[in-house]
Amino acid sequence: MPRPQPRTITLTIDGREVQAPENAMLVDAAKHGDVEIPVFCYEPKLGNPVGACRMCLVEVEGIPKLQTGCSTPVKDGMVVHTQTERVKIAQQSVVEFLLINHPLDCPVCDKGGECPLQDITFGWGGGISRFIEPKRHFVKPLELSPLIAIDRERCILCYRCVRFSQEISEDYQLVLSERGAHSYVSTFDGHPYVAPFSGNIVELCPVGALTSRAYRFRARPWEIEDAGSVCTLCPAQCNVTLTVRDERVLRVLARDHPEVDDGWLCDAGRFAYPAPDGGERVTEPLIRDGGMLRPVSWEQAMEHAAAGLQRAGVRTGAIVGGQATNEEGFLLARLLREGLDSPHLDSRVAGALPLELHRALGDPRLQARVSDLEFAHAVLVLDAEPITDAPILDLRLRKGVRRHGMRLERAGSEDLQAVRELARQLSERGEEVVLLWGERLAGGPNGADAARALLDIATTLSLGDVEGAGLLEIPAWTNGRGLREAGVLPNAGPGLSAVAQEGLDARGMADGLIEGELSALYLLGADPLERLADRARWEQALGRASTVVAHAAFLTDGVREHASVVFPAESYAEKEGTVTHPDGRIQRLRPAVAHVGSTRSEWRVIAELAARVGLDLGVLTGSMATAQLVRAVPFYAGITPEEIGGKGVRWQEREAAGAYPLREQLR
Amino acid sequence: MSSKLLFDRIDEPGLSTLAVYERRGGYSALRKALAMAPEDVLSELEASGLRGRGGAGFQMGKKVSFLPKGSMEKYLVCNADESEPGTFKDRELMQKSPHMLLEGIVIGSYAAGANCSFIYIRGEYVLQADVLDAALAEARAAGYLGEDILGSGHSLSLTVHRGAGAYICGEETGLLDSLEGKRGNPRLKPPFPANQGLYQGPTLINNVETLCTVPTILRMGGSQYAKLGVETSTGTKIVSVSGQVRRPGNYEITLGTPSREIVYGLAGGPPEGREVKCWFPGGSSSPVLRADDLDLPYDFDSIAKAGSMLGSGAIIVVDDSTPILDVALKVAKFYRHESCGKCTPCREGTNWTVKMLERIDSGEATPMDLDIMASVQEHIIGNCLCVLGDAMAMPIGSMIAKFRPEFEAHIEAARARNGLGAAGALAGPAPALAQGAL
Repeated sequence: MPRPQPRTITLTIDGREVQAPENAMLVDAAKHGDVEIPVFCYEPKLGNPVGACRMCLVEVEGIPKLQTGCSTPVKDGMVVHTQTERVKIAQQSVVEFLLINHPLDCPVCDKGGECPLQDITFGWGGGISRFIEPKRHFVKPLELSPLIAIDRERCILCYRCVRFSQEISEDYQLVLSERGAHSYVSTFDGHPYVAPFSGNIVELCPVGALTSRAYRFRARPWEIEDAGSVCTLCPAQCNVTLTVRDERVLRVLARDHPEVDDGWLCDAGRFAYPAPDGGERVTEPLIRDGGMLRPVSWEQAMEHAAAGLQRAGVRTGAIVGGQATNEEGFLLARLLREGLDSPHLDSRVAGALPLELHRALGDPRLQARVSDLEFAHAVLVLDAEPITDAPILDLRLRKGVRRHGMRLERAGSEDLQAVRELARQLSERGEEVVLLWGERLAGGPNGADAARALLDIATTLSLGDVEGAGLLEIPAWTNGRGLREAGVLPNAGPGLSAVAQEGLDARGMADGLIEGELSALYLLGADPLERLADRARWEQALGRASTVVAHAAFLTDGVREHASVVFPAESYAEKEGTVTHPDGRIQRLRPAVAHVGSTRSEWRVIAELAARVGLDLGVLTGSMATAQLVRAVPFYAGITPEEIGGKGVRWQEREAAGAYPLREQLR
Repeated sequence: MSSKLLFDRIDEPGLSTLAVYERRGGYSALRKALAMAPEDVLSELEASGLRGRGGAGFQMGKKVSFLPKGSMEKYLVCNADESEPGTFKDRELMQKSPHMLLEGIVIGSYAAGANCSFIYIRGEYVLQADVLDAALAEARAAGYLGEDILGSGHSLSLTVHRGAGAYICGEETGLLDSLEGKRGNPRLKPPFPANQGLYQGPTLINNVETLCTVPTILRMGGSQYAKLGVETSTGTKIVSVSGQVRRPGNYEITLGTPSREIVYGLAGGPPEGREVKCWFPGGSSSPVLRADDLDLPYDFDSIAKAGSMLGSGAIIVVDDSTPILDVALKVAKFYRHESCGKCTPCREGTNWTVKMLERIDSGEATPMDLDIMASVQEHIIGNCLCVLGDAMAMPIGSMIAKFRPEFEAHIEAARARNGLGAAGALAGPAPALAQGAL
């Protein structure tokens, strides 16, 4: 579907010429000329403007009435006034109207200090109050849900939260009840607002009416710092801003990235942040002693782990998952391959895939972007459940269907012939077809067949040649794509290079441990009992291992029962490094808070262990690790932290993508 | 003055049945229209100069011509919500001559190229909706509605939809939302319903009386119809006269008839010994006029020139026995109750205005409050999402402007009753916006 590509026009705002995209709403166009027009109800993320709050009234020459800037598309030659007496009075009157029923409890309001109503009152209000009647009253605050409190007295009825529920998350729960000055926001049936994306309404609220119950009264805006990072709880890798006070994360906000998250967060990403501080975190090294894990010094833990790994040597396997970064995976692969001469590495949850297929599936020309989900003619979801696998993609798919008439279908890979037929039917809607597939498609016993079928479909529909079409994988682990590209595969080194000797995949490692072929297992962020198939077999395998080294933030079953050494793992808010988004966008994690307890960076632990088994990895800082990774992966060549910046960089869109190891005949 | 077109023998028994309506020549205009090309029907409507009878007074023919051409699904919606206080003309038309409305709708849909139509009737009009449903069944059976009407190839479905009772559902976009099953809130315009209306399709929305006039225009010919009335207000209009008059009711008049003739001649003027204090020329949302404005010709432009509007053609007469404050409160409370709450100035402004008016009556106000109240009305007018806010602010503003001495006297009397000192001593300039800005 064609994406909007507006031409630039010139309009005059307050006597100055401003260049802006044609048909942009005046409020947005004005920003190109450094003119701010105040708004409450307008939020482009929510779709078409509603013009409800009337805050953005401005004068447009040739139109007798004042116009709402939020709903006036700009045209070439338009002349706009935002500072005339008439506009000022209208805007002041709207502020006055809004404050009629708004309690002036800013000193005890969570929003105070970061409140659009405060700012706009100060910037565009009349500075006087003429209202002396009693204000309206509600019982407050109420629990709108276990996560959100609602203060109906503060609500200015801007409709944002209701529109979110009705038109973005489409849970259809929030409504405006009653009418006129008696209107209030509530759920349709009076039940709590429980929905997967409910937390976004807190961020949308322009006043202190909707507040996070977890954050309420925890900090004032002048006591906090913002730290930009990336949420690594799932493969969606949403961009976030962490609200930090006294070295603790107190809140997670969206850091709008149209190509990643579209400005939304799921409730897990938004509200799970207290977990790392919840008291169950592993904050110091542990070793197993008499069947129990007990805290030890770093020196003892390192010594213990290094000795165990050295004993096992080539008989060591490693599974990398969880929230591990590219650098961590890369360095661990070096430790295994160069330090212990072991080829047994995996970062996939099930089944080995031939290297050619890995390469073909990752073909840069075939990769769809997240935003393609929105504009595609059709999307076929295969073996994936976006709402749980990568929740934010669910919203993107809904947006595509609702706003652009995208056709959405879903299927499982059991019947590949049916999948081919479905894809063919979908392609009749238009050539931009995206296949959104889950890693488990290529993980089952017939994984390779399914992967080939996927590539077949892509070839038949020429997805590689059509802009906006392609494949998009949802990996099982957050950084699945990055770890594979960093070489954490049994059959591939950095940059999906061929390896001299193929190792065991995850399943093979279980067998190897049971059969005595392997004796040590290194777990980086991955607990086989939690995430890998066949728990009973893994129980047995872990029980047979003589050494299990685990990096873990929590004592999950496998770690608690079987680890010989546990290194405290960082939370993502403490991490430094890069991750690669499923669509190839390399994004940067930046430490927002200090390490809890005696936690150390994973890369540092790996480097030190390597040194103890006689391998100098040559990394003294996190950025040295990044530099080494970038040198080792040809199609990442030249990427620097500066280039990644706050918005990330898709490697497929860089020149170095030409170095991707693709053999034409395999496609 | 009274040349009866719509009300011609309206009280004839059985007129609501198809038999009587047909005997009187009913549906002949439809046959005539279907024999013409839709464009020719449209030009007849345009030639008639018929202005919408619902309130805005927009030319009907022009409205039809705004609908995009093409084969997309188009809709015709008849606005029978008749929610403006003082207006009860559509009720009588629908109850007594439902087929006239149906005939008008079919002709209108033919001109507009719409194949799907609705009558959105207010929920309180139970009898009228039943009458319409019965007439609809008859018309359908007779082939005036449905597939291939009278062999013309034109098809039209028609549904009578009963509203649940809200003034805002008489506003055309609020009506559309309500018809779609949503909360009846007005939509942002543009897009206008002619482009994106019901279910996003091009939609023609007309008032009952407007559509009832269509068969007459077809029978008379547009240019002939245009000779009635005055230049910019052609034809006849049914005026609902209510309030303090001796013979309240609906009267069909030729537009341009002197207002005095309607109020005194037809409706009998106020009761013995009383004088007209003020009158609403077009429903409760029109700015009030004084007794000396009664000499104005009753047509769209003359009333507009006097600072008010013809609106739905509902004259409400207030005589000198009624305090102006009571009138203001009645009006303001109605609009506060009916404000949908979507946009700020209307939601908050109507609420604030009522509170200030109540304070005048309880003796807690000063003349300064009148200044604030007047400025609040100014801040509402023209700044809202739809015209509901203006519908309160315009009459209230006009009352304060025209009857300020009476308001002030009321303030003083109420203060004295309340044992408070004279407000005159407190008089001073009221704070206004844009002066004391930060």
